[in-house]
Amino acid sequence: MSLVALSELLGATVRDASGTVRGRVREVAVAPQEHPTRIAYLIVRTGEGERMLPAGALRACGATVRTDSESSSWERYSASDGVLLLKRDLLDQQIIDVHGRKVVRVNDVELDSTPVNSHVVLNVVAVDVGARGAIRRLTKGVVPAFSLRALLERIPPRVIPWEYVDLLETDPARRVKLKIAYEGLSRLHPADIADIVEDLAPAEREAVFETIDEEVAAEALEEIDPKVQVRIVESLDSNRAADIVEEMDPDAAADLLGDLPEDRSGQILKEMEPEERQEVTQLLEFGEHTAAGRMTTEFLAVDETAVVDDAIEALKRFEGSREALATIYLTGPGHRLVGAVSLVKIATSSQAVQLSALSEPYVACAPDTPEDQVAALFDKYNLITLAVVDEHGRIAGIITADDVITMLRHSD
Amino acid sequence: MNLRALLKGWKTRLFLFLAVVGPGFITANVDNDAGGIYTYSLAGAQFGYSLLWTMIPITIALVVVQEMASRMGAVTGKGLSDLIREEFGFRLTFFLMLALVVTNFGNVVAEFAGVASSLELFGWSRYVVVPVAAAIVWLLIVQGTYNSVEKIFLLASGFYVCYIIAGLLAHPDWKAAAVATVSRPSNIGIRNYGYLFMVIGLVGTTIAPWMQFYLQASVVEKGVTVRQYRTSRWDVILGCLFTDIVAWFIIVACAATLYAKGHPDIKDAADAAQALRPLAGEYAYLLFAAGLFNASLFAASILPISTAYAVCEGLGFESGLDKKFHEAPVFYWLYTVLIVAGAGVLLIPRFPLVHIMVLSQVVNGVVLPFVLIFMLLLTNDKELMGEHTNSRGFNIVAWITVIVMIVLTLAMVITQTRT
Repeated sequence: MSLVALSELLGATVRDASGTVRGRVREVAVAPQEHPTRIAYLIVRTGEGERMLPAGALRACGATVRTDSESSSWERYSASDGVLLLKRDLLDQQIIDVHGRKVVRVNDVELDSTPVNSHVVLNVVAVDVGARGAIRRLTKGVVPAFSLRALLERIPPRVIPWEYVDLLETDPARRVKLKIAYEGLSRLHPADIADIVEDLAPAEREAVFETIDEEVAAEALEEIDPKVQVRIVESLDSNRAADIVEEMDPDAAADLLGDLPEDRSGQILKEMEPEERQEVTQLLEFGEHTAAGRMTTEFLAVDETAVVDDAIEALKRFEGSREALATIYLTGPGHRLVGAVSLVKIATSSQAVQLSALSEPYVACAPDTPEDQVAALFDKYNLITLAVVDEHGRIAGIITADDVITMLRHSD
Repeated sequence: MNLRALLKGWKTRLFLFLAVVGPGFITANVDNDAGGIYTYSLAGAQFGYSLLWTMIPITIALVVVQEMASRMGAVTGKGLSDLIREEFGFRLTFFLMLALVVTNFGNVVAEFAGVASSLELFGWSRYVVVPVAAAIVWLLIVQGTYNSVEKIFLLASGFYVCYIIAGLLAHPDWKAAAVATVSRPSNIGIRNYGYLFMVIGLVGTTIAPWMQFYLQASVVEKGVTVRQYRTSRWDVILGCLFTDIVAWFIIVACAATLYAKGHPDIKDAADAAQALRPLAGEYAYLLFAAGLFNASLFAASILPISTAYAVCEGLGFESGLDKKFHEAPVFYWLYTVLIVAGAGVLLIPRFPLVHIMVLSQVVNGVVLPFVLIFMLLLTNDKELMGEHTNSRGFNIVAWITVIVMIVLTLAMVITQTRT
């Protein structure tokens, strides 16, 4: 067993059974449908045009390629989508290094040549992404082959074994023929997939997201920068996009759909399963149709230790809407909501009375409370104002009765 | 269509435009760097209005070439050096990148020299100014994000208005200048060696290899897609127009003053500002000096990073400011060395600066034909560009432009190495 570099093989002279030079190697082809790594044939540029030399007829491979078949028996080469051409599809192209979890550019391809009976069998074993392949290609034909080999052996190799290589192919039909399924990529952590995908060109990102499992795609998509997310989803067809969005966290899905143009998000929603669609639709409207979307941040809050006089002073300075003045909220340490006093109570109490003594039970809701529940709270407790409180118990804003009326009028 | 609908239509269009504006505008403006400003000043000082006719063909050439780079970026989503590597192989890419580093290094030196000489007008020592400028450039790029840096660059582009104001202050003969811009060049000029040399110089500073790499990379970085491309084209066209209007005003300002009063000899762009002082007044002088500082620092910020990106992408090294230093060592080292060495040589007394400049110009002239021809081949590649390949008419204009550019650039190299 010995290693041959693709760049050594390209341009090598081909001698047939009689030892006559018949042409030079132009391409090396693998047919993944037949065998994932074995070389199927070499494309040889001969005097009579390009011919396919079957790999089974090779006797030696290196600077000279020897075969025991007659050149007249080599078939004329015709382009086929179903074969992987190592020079065109691999050399100088970008691939995904699944082991190193990054996108790299191929400097050379390493083939293994093993003698079997009187022939040699060629297999792709690794791609070279380091200095060794680079220098070999730079100096090819300039430095004598034997001194080059001695030089290259001193350079530590940087190769990626073939099983860790995922090819980038943007043509979906060809991906099927070449059996490119991004299995290696799919096994990575979603955050790593996201990093890799962000390094790719748009067409290649699309290729990855069209191919990998929906669940993996969804998890990876969540980790990707929102701007890139939008571009990826826009490039997919609605059906595929819906399949992926369904698998996403509803929160993330809603954020993503919210960033898409309306007609596009509409199409994707239409393709989604009813249950997921409803969940996402609700969240999608979060903000505009929730407590947080309806509240005002202009309200009156004073410290719980204040007295009625302080409250009246605060009322005089308040510049917000009159509706908001119906209730004065009391806050404790860390601005947590601790009580509420109605304007009526303040008007009818003497100046030195502590506000906390006048406090009455109050109602509050979370920022993401849907607006119909907000309306229900107003109805049930006969509210004039409702406090919206964040997860730390701090008052974020208030909703006033007039807001609820507007809301109800517009909801039908 | 009523007025409101019309306004809304314009609003959407403006919004679409603002989403893609940046790469084309910035790249075109950086074209007016220290070297460019000097060439334009010299053209005005030595030949008055008689070279203004070059502005229209130069603008066309600039638009044609920049449009190709920007279209490639939008359609393929890949940088120019990526595409060259993928289509033309490792060896060619390697030598092209080597040459790009050499010529861009010369440019970086020239930009820092511009920073130094513009601030020396205000009496600041280069031993303080140059290291500070280098540090600012390094930090700006390493610490900033693409969006924030782009905003700063757009601001710097807007600052070129300095030259337009300076042109107004010079009180030129508007009618003569306008006529000279649109009229056929006179025959007398063609036989004049100095005149020809100046034409070559003007065209030669217009299109540089690094611009194509930078423009395409920033179109990709900004995420401009094929669908946005139509709008993106306006970014290129408006950028080129603004750039050449600025150039026009520089020529006019110098023609109305230096040429008219018989001061044709200026040694560099700072010298031009100095010479304007007694002729066009204190404000014109200040504007010229400030404009030069802005242009030089602006170009000095863009060249090193653009070189580092192009080289690392083409040769397959890890690159990107989102990576850590140890993840992309070649990228960061190349970037840092270009800045430190480019600024550093200016602090060495008796450093043979002229030789570096000439070498850089020669390599520039050698690299440019390759880059332009590669661009034409790539933009005509159906497999790569799909339906966005060059049209027949565009190809004719583009090939003529490219051939003229190549001939004139080579002519400039030859004349420069002789003098």
